[in-house]
Amino acid sequence: MRLRLLLTAAICTLAANIVSADDLAPASKPIPQVIDQYIDAAIAEAGATPAGQADDATLIRRLTLDLVGRIPTTTEVDEYVKSKDSDKRTKLVDRLIASPGFARHQAALFEAMFNPDGNGRGSSGGFRQYMTDAVRENKPWDKIFREVVLADETDAKLKGAAEFIKGRVNDADKLTNDVSVAFFGVNVSCAQCHNHPLVMDWTQDHFYGMKMFLARTFENGGFLGERGYGTIKYKPTKGAERTAKMMFLTGTVIEESSKEPTPAEMKQEKEALDKAKTAKTAPPAPKFSARGKLVEVALKDANADFFAKNIVNRMWHRYFAAGLVNPLDQMHSENRPTHPELLSWLARDVAANGYDLKRLTRGLVLSKAYSRSSKYESSLPDSKLFAVAKLKPMTPNQLATSLKIAATDPASFEGKKPEELEKLLEQAENAGRGFASLISQPTDNFQIGVGEALLFSNGDRIMREFLTDGGGSALGRVKLMKEPKEAAEFLVKTAYGRPATAEEVKAITAYVEKRQGREAEAYRQVMWALVTSPEFRFSY
Amino acid sequence: MSRSRFCGSHEHDMNRRAFLGATGAAGVSLAADMTQLNALAAPGVNDALKKTQKRVILLWLAGGASQLETWDPKPGASTGGPFRAIKTDVPGVAISELMPKMAQRMKNTCILRGLDTKNGDHGSAAITMMRGRRNEAALRYPDLGAVLAREMARADSKVPDYVSFYTQTEGRGMAPGDSGFLGARYAPMDLTTSNYPEFIKRLADISDLDHKERSDLRDVLGKQFVAGRSSDTMNSQNEAYERVRGIMSSEKLFDVTQEPQKVRDRYGPTQFAEQVLIARRLVEAGVPFVRVGRAWWDSHGQNFETHQEMVPELDHVMATLIDDLKERGLLDDVMIVTLSEFGRTPGINASLGRDHFASAWSSTITGCGIKGGSVYGKTDDKGNKVVAEQVDAGSLFATIYEALGINPEKNYYVGSRPIPLVNPGIHAIKEVLK
Repeated sequence: MRLRLLLTAAICTLAANIVSADDLAPASKPIPQVIDQYIDAAIAEAGATPAGQADDATLIRRLTLDLVGRIPTTTEVDEYVKSKDSDKRTKLVDRLIASPGFARHQAALFEAMFNPDGNGRGSSGGFRQYMTDAVRENKPWDKIFREVVLADETDAKLKGAAEFIKGRVNDADKLTNDVSVAFFGVNVSCAQCHNHPLVMDWTQDHFYGMKMFLARTFENGGFLGERGYGTIKYKPTKGAERTAKMMFLTGTVIEESSKEPTPAEMKQEKEALDKAKTAKTAPPAPKFSARGKLVEVALKDANADFFAKNIVNRMWHRYFAAGLVNPLDQMHSENRPTHPELLSWLARDVAANGYDLKRLTRGLVLSKAYSRSSKYESSLPDSKLFAVAKLKPMTPNQLATSLKIAATDPASFEGKKPEELEKLLEQAENAGRGFASLISQPTDNFQIGVGEALLFSNGDRIMREFLTDGGGSALGRVKLMKEPKEAAEFLVKTAYGRPATAEEVKAITAYVEKRQGREAEAYRQVMWALVTSPEFRFSY
Repeated sequence: MSRSRFCGSHEHDMNRRAFLGATGAAGVSLAADMTQLNALAAPGVNDALKKTQKRVILLWLAGGASQLETWDPKPGASTGGPFRAIKTDVPGVAISELMPKMAQRMKNTCILRGLDTKNGDHGSAAITMMRGRRNEAALRYPDLGAVLAREMARADSKVPDYVSFYTQTEGRGMAPGDSGFLGARYAPMDLTTSNYPEFIKRLADISDLDHKERSDLRDVLGKQFVAGRSSDTMNSQNEAYERVRGIMSSEKLFDVTQEPQKVRDRYGPTQFAEQVLIARRLVEAGVPFVRVGRAWWDSHGQNFETHQEMVPELDHVMATLIDDLKERGLLDDVMIVTLSEFGRTPGINASLGRDHFASAWSSTITGCGIKGGSVYGKTDDKGNKVVAEQVDAGSLFATIYEALGINPEKNYYVGSRPIPLVNPGIHAIKEVLK
């Protein structure tokens, strides 16, 4: 018992105060400056030299891919590179964040985040739609948490949010773990069968304590319901059987005088459920909602530290390709953040500013740490320092949409009103969706398998849907060009958004000249080589 | 025994490592030249392969084959059904009369009769029996094929690492091959609609030379980007493209018509037989793991008719495979496993069927480091429960790994977390290991 108390104390320490608030940078300091302060200090302390800042063409590609999920059009690149406006980066970031593509792309990333083991579990697309609306309206993260966990199906606008719980309602263990992972960055699954072998923080009490919040949820005629009673008993590896208490990860326990229902109440409940089923409505809510308690306790005082740090860590991971805590679901006292003060500062900042994710995103991508080059000529500094930008493999949607854009004659995007351009880009996204379903969703330590290389090498969809040379396509435009050099420069620019190098022009023209009389075919192959190379496949 | 050669000549006999090591520069002539692969089937090369690599053919009896009509008959018991037991070439060991050919070859094979795997649900049991354990809520384990691919395949392998045939529809979606946390590099080449892999053939509108040179151009264009950048994912992409031409050149391995008619006749004309023969061609060429799924064992009704029809096919094909591998000197290096998601109930239901049963069923292992002729595990007179030498999914997998020379306690790492090949505390069954 003594030990358990100590443990609980240790967790609270982790959660609240690895770093004392007094020592943190002032709350009023802008996010990018604080990021750079802490990141640069750690680099200096390690005696490392950071990579220089990425050039403009690289930066607009990175920002466009990260924020709206596609490569920029060549017009967008040219305008950005040419602009002398000292504030152009901020303006670009604000324009991208305000565009409809931002909501769509971020929603897709959230959907993947909520379903780390693959495609949506029983998702009908409602969850994606909910997240898209939530991002567009810039719904605060704590509100999203509330709506996902409370899963109110009576409100048509919130129905999609319920799909997360609904897809897991028949597996309370999975539901417990997925909720803990998505919102608190804590994987408690190891503690299901025994106290965590490696992490003192997580005991079986934690797993079953969290499960108690979720195990009363059930499905009734296609709607989610929740009982106001119900206990879980479990057998610890040592000692007698225990009855679980609702307990949050920090050790905070919810006391309740849960009474088992009388036979009469059971009968009443059954009738109410049957009635709801017949009427095709959600069953009546319980007086005491365990899920409601979870939302309450998780956001209360120091408990909210897990919640705030998790979202900061996940958003950091989204833009920097690694978390401040890695893996993302291993937030505990024995897995220290790479930059504890920075994580604490950002967590405090996001909580103090109403969990405003657009604000956080904007702060992250305006830092100098974000805009470093991914190229580093000498031996690489420790990747934990964020001294060099990391490569990010494109998501299936990013890749397919970008392929569509690269395959389109850039002239189609020129001189368009913003709404018209947005329409075209959305069309490109929709047109790429089928192909995207053939590509794997990247994860940490992602490996590209030979299946993808075979698909690109021998599948006809890539040739049929992307590398066509009809009117309005980049390859169609090439047909009108007289000089191979002009065509080579054009194709490199279209695919990579940057000018071609002399070696590239040489290699491409040699390739085409060797295929005299069948140039159209040759250019299709050149385009294939451009879009299958790593420079296209990755955000860099 | 004469071996099939695509070109019929010994000239191509060469060391496998030399063959697999020859990439890049030699690519033009090599990758396009199907005869090179044939070198792998040559006698000297088998010896070289033998020392470096063990391989597995998994006969996946999807839906759950009955142990009572195969490896653990209970003749005369109320649960025994109509079939008799017959003696085998191993004194004291009897199997179902539906398996007369295997009865003559049990000296090669080990029967595990004490499987108790707790799970009678097709989907989750299939996941467990392909991995040796349940997936955790937040951790997807690699299955047997993916582990073998990881342990036995070369980074630049010219053949697929993990091939899975599952062309019948029953239960197919329940047991897809899955590399779990090992990632796409070790994901199976899944063959579900034909015996021929998708995207292995060049499209008709590009010549072989263009296909090759287009790929070279990709390398040239990528060079500048790769310099000064470091990423495991980027390396995996380049490796994947480097392997394309090699994999394409393995196309003929999937073409059963490349086998002499005599050999094809020996295996028989069924789809299962053809796929097992292709599996033999694949392992011979160095593919570390091939699963051949044979479905329709889920005999809730008319169990005896079903098994009367299906067991003899299994018996014939498995016996033929053992003979074939033996003649090729490969039985010490290629393991044959028969496994399902579970067995079938001893109790016979009202539709004269047997239902799902995970408490006392059987699996077999043949070849590699397994003690042929051994029987481990004993069920009671009616087959209702295991009375001695119980085996769970974990120890079955530990035994398979150990027999292949892989340490079951070896760790993979997911982040900083060590993940042993089998769960901690689980050990191989020493009694059936050589």
